[in-house]
Amino acid sequence: MKPKRRAVPGIAQRRSPTVRVVKPAIRPVARPASSSPASSSPASGAGSSSGLGRPQPGGAARARIEPVASEPSLDAIGGRPVKLEVDLGGGLVLANPVIVAAGPFGYGVEMADLVDLERLGAIVTRGTSLKARGGHPAPRMAEVPAGLLLGVGLQNPGIDAVLDRYSTTWARWPIPVILNLCGESTSELAAGARRLEGVPGIAGVELNLSCANGSRGNAFGLDPQTASNAVTAVRRACDLPLIAKLTAAASDVRAVARACEDAGADAISAINTLPGLAVAADRRSPALGSGYGGICGPALRPIALRVVYEVAQAVTLPVIGIGGIATLEDVLDMLAVGAVAVGVGVAALADPMLPVRLADELADACRARGLADVAALTGTALPSKPVPGSNRGAEYAR
Amino acid sequence: MRLAGAELIESREILPGTWLQSWHAPPIVSGARAGQYVHVRTTEAGGLPLRRPYPIATADLASGTLTIQVGSGVAGAVAWSRALRPGDRADIAGPLGRPFEMDSRSRHLLLVAEGPAIASLRLLIDEAVRDVRSVVLLYGTSTASQVYPSSLLPDEVEYVVATADGSLGHRGSIAGLITGYEAWADQAFAAGSPELLGAVARLAAGRRQRLGVATLGRKRGGGRPPAAGSPEARRKSFLQVAVEQTVACAGGTCQACAIRGASGATQRACREGPIFAAGELDWGQE
Repeated sequence: MKPKRRAVPGIAQRRSPTVRVVKPAIRPVARPASSSPASSSPASGAGSSSGLGRPQPGGAARARIEPVASEPSLDAIGGRPVKLEVDLGGGLVLANPVIVAAGPFGYGVEMADLVDLERLGAIVTRGTSLKARGGHPAPRMAEVPAGLLLGVGLQNPGIDAVLDRYSTTWARWPIPVILNLCGESTSELAAGARRLEGVPGIAGVELNLSCANGSRGNAFGLDPQTASNAVTAVRRACDLPLIAKLTAAASDVRAVARACEDAGADAISAINTLPGLAVAADRRSPALGSGYGGICGPALRPIALRVVYEVAQAVTLPVIGIGGIATLEDVLDMLAVGAVAVGVGVAALADPMLPVRLADELADACRARGLADVAALTGTALPSKPVPGSNRGAEYAR
Repeated sequence: MRLAGAELIESREILPGTWLQSWHAPPIVSGARAGQYVHVRTTEAGGLPLRRPYPIATADLASGTLTIQVGSGVAGAVAWSRALRPGDRADIAGPLGRPFEMDSRSRHLLLVAEGPAIASLRLLIDEAVRDVRSVVLLYGTSTASQVYPSSLLPDEVEYVVATADGSLGHRGSIAGLITGYEAWADQAFAAGSPELLGAVARLAAGRRQRLGVATLGRKRGGGRPPAAGSPEARRKSFLQVAVEQTVACAGGTCQACAIRGASGATQRACREGPIFAAGELDWGQE
């Protein structure tokens, strides 16, 4: 048994990086085209060997891509190969930057017969807590302009049941499955994270900082200190790659992001849904059984872009941009403000094939621009030196 | 579930604000059963592209067409449906959900529908008439102009109408008329607002051991009860209900369509429903 690594908030340099080997799901471009042309196509390359994209504890070194050949060969479909791999830190390398955000694909198995899951970068599961949660009363969904208002209430069967039912299936999949972890206290989060350590099929943890800290407390992600406590607790409890999912409701997301970085997070994802309200048709109550709901969909996109823009300047961690992504243009925008990967959320409800299609379109977009690496699209809209944050309120509207 | 690119054949306004759309979608029509729904990808101006659930109102295997009733009700998408013209295409997934189950011994079927929810029962009427069963349809709505046209129903159906303002047929709620038919009926099927379904379900629950054909020839309490959610459980239930919920994913992943089951656990209208045996749901107190 490996000793647990301790993370001390505020002293980032004391962390030694976790060593994992994650093979890229897409074959490196250095392979000669003549030897096995078919294996360089994304689909066949991903499906050809089992266990791809799975962290291999005890591996010698983090898998890096083999050196790019001096003369780029053509891939199976005759296009110039594009490097799509994304390193999320902690040894978690995605085959491409398009992941399915927490929610729309459930635990993935529900969609496995409909979607080519192996062509995605990763899947994030729906929010899962230590104990089973029944969720809010119906109705749980309302339509709002350019989005949905959801008040599901984190209904889930509990972490043990989830691992019991799905982890063996996940272990067979060639793509990383990241579990979205929720909890109402740091101890609950830590206990949940402890169950994940060493479970085959779990490639990482996304920590939902939009959960309330205690029944009367604020969400973890609203305050740098509580966010730091939550990340530290999970960091101590498990060794998996840890993604902190921020909420845009924080007054200064840069401070929260920095706190997460110092507490040992490997990556940041932003943003979660934002609290909203819709009114019932008879105007006697809110439309949702839970009262408040979380706004998701294109309505969130400008907010998500703003948060990613701020966070990417504040931290050195990789950032996953989530919020209202529905088209290739949205993906490119999100990358331009500093995200290394994007999460597709509610748009995948109407079109389950969308995330896979976006990954293909992104590769095409790189080819059309003559880029050999998708990383060249990241951060192109970021300022050369950091600009002040957005917490100056209504000044911008005037 | 199958995804199909469907073509609109015809769209006609059967009631003010309600369209009956006929879609050519052979892969979906084959295998479609009464009570199941299709998930149609729609776009509202300024809104999010979203799939909306529509019950399959009629399905014609020979021509490969199905009809759905678009307009008021849970699904909405009025602006989208108004803009469609014959020849337009849409992305339709289906057939989805669990269907109604008729007992082979049921000769007398009581159907209770309210407003646009009649679309859930429409295919069941066709199936029952084809099997030469007698059908009584109790239909309730607000006013005479919103009464479902009898020309769209088979001649064999006995059609009883109640309007809230009394402008056509009986005055008041349709729930008040059920007691006149409950002893006649072998099985009952209901679709409508949660209030109507609750009233009908409580009525049926109060007379559970005496109503329906499924209890014939069986000793009370004899035999093993069918598993909840199984076709058997619906077939043996006197009352089956079609639940209307907004369905976002139809894959059972988003949990947005959850309703309370009798055991306290939530049931998803998209997967465990939309058709339930009345005893499988929690109807609460009046």
